[in-house]
Amino acid sequence: MKIVATNPHVSPAPHAETELALEGLWRVVVLNDPVNLMSYVVLVFKKVFGFDEATARRKMLEVHEQGRSIVWSGLREKAEAYVFTLQQWHLTAVLEPDESRTT
Amino acid sequence: MSPERRKRIEVKLALPVVAPLLDVIRELADSLKQNLAASTPLPDIEPEFREAWQGELLTAQNDDVRTLLALFNDEFFTEGVVAFDDDNAEAIVRACAAVRLRLREVYLKPLGDEALESGDVDLLALDDPLRKAFMCYLFLATVQELIIQHLDESILES
Repeated sequence: MKIVATNPHVSPAPHAETELALEGLWRVVVLNDPVNLMSYVVLVFKKVFGFDEATARRKMLEVHEQGRSIVWSGLREKAEAYVFTLQQWHLTAVLEPDESRTT
Repeated sequence: MSPERRKRIEVKLALPVVAPLLDVIRELADSLKQNLAASTPLPDIEPEFREAWQGELLTAQNDDVRTLLALFNDEFFTEGVVAFDDDNAEAIVRACAAVRLRLREVYLKPLGDEALESGDVDLLALDDPLRKAFMCYLFLATVQELIIQHLDESILES
């Protein structure tokens, strides 16, 4: 993922850019619950992330069978927004640092 | 959206079956005014932001639950009919999720999560309050299924 400096007059040093990227990469993880219907979870994934039917079903089945699914990964601010939206839909969603990705 | 594109479904419900469930739905709707339906593990954020986060979730939840309760209007009590359309489908499908989660917290924990997930419950073996709560749980799931089956495009496009 490319990190864009917010101040156009300042070019961050390469190591600072890497640090920012490492700090900024987060996963949105949806956890299983025994209440929400499978069809509902598929609908929410399609609505919130724009997944196609097959992707939404695959992610839903991961949640159902493995207890969790990573549904998105990227910068912290956007990840928080996704967690908020998923919580509005009453899914249990958490943020985790994404240690598998570096820029 | 132009009027001719609007989609609406009307469902006739068995009044003697559904009307008694409304007491349970209203009771839980009341408890949802102050409580979020699902556990919301919040990111590590500032306390003020945390409060705003939960406040906004609660406001949205209350708006949705009000839309659900509005289904059971005079038309429902005279004709047994409720109507879902582009305007209320999304709020109602979410409100049903909220009330179902609250039902689990308040009434249905004795059944166990496995039974809740599979729906494999012997209704006749339950005492009256638990049976009523579980019927409510099933009724709201049916409403969700109806909306998802017939109005999912309205929700996805909204």
